[in-house]
Amino acid sequence: MVDPSIRLAGLRLATPLMLASGTVGYGPEYDGLVDFSKVGAIVTKTVTPKPRAGNAPPRLAETRGGMLNSIGLENVGLDRFLSEKLAEAGRLPTLVIASVAGETPSEFAALCEAIGEREETAGLELNVSCPNVRRARRPLWADPDGVSAVVAAARCATDKPLLLKLSPNAADVTSVAEAGERAGADALVVANTLPGMRIDVTTQAPMLGNRFGGLSGPALLPVNLALVWQLSESIGIPIVGSGGIERAEDALEYMMAGASAFQVGTALFRTPSVVDRIVDDLTQHALSDGVNCLSGYTGAAKEADTTCLRTRAD
Amino acid sequence: MFDTAEPGQFVLVDTGPERALRRPFSVAGVTADGDVELLIALRGDGTRALADLPVGSLLTIMGPLGRGFMPPASRRAAHVAPHAAGATQGASEAAPWSPDADPWSPEAAPWSTEAPPAAVVVAGGIGVAGVRFLVQRLSSAGTTATLFVGARTGDTLLHTTLPEPDAVHLATDDGTMGFRGTVCDLFAAESATLPVNTKIYGCGPRAMLDSLSAIADERGMACELSLEEMMACGVGACRGCVVSTVDGYRTVCKDGPVFDASVLVPERCVIEVADG
Repeated sequence: MVDPSIRLAGLRLATPLMLASGTVGYGPEYDGLVDFSKVGAIVTKTVTPKPRAGNAPPRLAETRGGMLNSIGLENVGLDRFLSEKLAEAGRLPTLVIASVAGETPSEFAALCEAIGEREETAGLELNVSCPNVRRARRPLWADPDGVSAVVAAARCATDKPLLLKLSPNAADVTSVAEAGERAGADALVVANTLPGMRIDVTTQAPMLGNRFGGLSGPALLPVNLALVWQLSESIGIPIVGSGGIERAEDALEYMMAGASAFQVGTALFRTPSVVDRIVDDLTQHALSDGVNCLSGYTGAAKEADTTCLRTRAD
Repeated sequence: MFDTAEPGQFVLVDTGPERALRRPFSVAGVTADGDVELLIALRGDGTRALADLPVGSLLTIMGPLGRGFMPPASRRAAHVAPHAAGATQGASEAAPWSPDADPWSPEAAPWSTEAPPAAVVVAGGIGVAGVRFLVQRLSSAGTTATLFVGARTGDTLLHTTLPEPDAVHLATDDGTMGFRGTVCDLFAAESATLPVNTKIYGCGPRAMLDSLSAIADERGMACELSLEEMMACGVGACRGCVVSTVDGYRTVCKDGPVFDASVLVPERCVIEVADG
C-alpha cells in the first residue's frame, strides 16, 4: 500500500496534487468534472479587496507548448468571496487555499485576516507574482523588501499556513524567496507564469488585448523545475512545484528536484480527468519503486546527484 | 448522450496534446441516437488535426455547454442582471438548461397557445454551424423561420447544410451568388416588411453581429446572438473568454455563447473608448 497523503506547512493533504490558482475558479465550477477527493487542495482564483473587472479581451492565446493568459485578476472581490464563494468551495471534499493579492502589505493583511478566520480556509496563498497587473516602480515579485513586508503583514494577520507564490521572472528569485521565508512564509509555490506575447500576423496586432500575458503549460516546466532545484538548496521551508505538469512523471520531476507537493493548472483545461491519471500513476510509480509514501520522492534527485558528484570526486 | 443539448449550446473538442486549449464548436444537430453533429471549417491547426483523423477515431468531447437560444416568444429575463444586482447564490448561476426547465418543450413554449411570432435566422460564413440546430428546432416546433445566409463568395456559402436550403436568402460579398453585399445589408433591405414581433437570431463574425444588433434595435425586434471566443476551461472558471456587456465582462462559455443583443457592447465602441 502506498500512502498518497503528504504533510505541507502543518496541513495534511490527501495527495500532493493541488489545483493552481486561476484555473479552477473558486472550485465548484469543476464539480462533476474533477474528482476532488484526489485533490490535495484547490487554490482559489486570486481575491482582491474590491471586485476587479480584469483586462480587456482577448485574454487567451495558444502557443507551441502551452498558452498565454492575460486575465488580470478578474474576481468577485473580498465581500462576495466571503459571503458566497468560500462556503461553496468549502463543501468540496478537499482543502481550500485562498489566493490573495493586495496593492499594499496592509491590504494583504486585511485579506488574510478576513479569509483566514473562516473555518473553510485551510491556508492562504500570497500572490505577489501575477504578470498581468502593473505596479508603479519595480514589480513586487522582484522586490525582496516588498515581498518581505507583504509576508510579515500577512503573518501578523493570520495563524493559517501562508504559501508564497513566486515569479520565475525575477532576476534574483533566491533573494525574494529568502526574504519571504525570513518574514514567516510556511511554504513557497514555485512558480507563477512567465511574461510573454504573441502577434497575429494577419491583423498585425498583438493577440492579447493586454499585449502581454503569462506563459503556462509544458514550455514552462524546465524553467520552474530548475528554480525548484535551485531554491531547495538554500530554503528551509517546503516548496510546491508548479509549471507545465501534465502527467505523473512531470510531477515526479518536481518532487525529485525538491518539491513536497505540486500544482496542476493548464493541463486541467484540455483534460479535467488529468487529476485522476496523475494521482493513480504516481501511486503506480511508488509501488514499482518500493516507495511507501509519496513524500519519499521529495529531493530524490538531489541525493542521487550528491552520490554521483561524490563518486566522480573519488 | 447529447439528447439534452439545446440550440446554441456548444461542445469543447480535444484536438490533441499539441494544443493546450480545446476547440469550441456549436452543436449543429443531435441524431436520433443522441450523437452530436458538428460542422467544422478548416481554419487552423486544431481543425486541421481533426480533419486528418481517420474515420472512426475516438474524440474527447466536453459538453453540451453554455446557454443557448431561447424560443421566439420567450426572452431570457435578467440574462445579465442577477450578477449586477448582487443576487443571492443560486439565482445568479442557475444551471442554464435542465430537462425539467426546457424552454423548448411544448409546455414551456408560449407560442403553442398563441400566434407564433415570426423568426429570422441570419448566419455569416461558418456561423451557419451555430444556427443549423436552431433551424431544425424552430421547424419541429412549427415556427417558420426566414433564413439569411451570407459568405464572401459563392464557393464558401454554407446554406446547403441547412434543413431547407432552397428557402434561404443568400448574399455574397462579391455577388457570385444571391444578393451582392453583406447578409446584413440584405436583411436590412428585407426587414422593413417583417412584423415587429419578429425575433432575430444571429451567428457569424462579430462585425456582422453588431450590425444585426443595430438593425434589430432600430426595428424594436428581439435579437439573440451567438458569440465565439477562444476558450480554456469552458465552465466559467478561468474568465478567459469574456466579452463586454452592459454589465461588464461576461464569459462566452457559461454566460453565453448566446446573448441577448441588448446586453452586448458593440466591439467598435469598445475600441473607441480604449483610444479616447
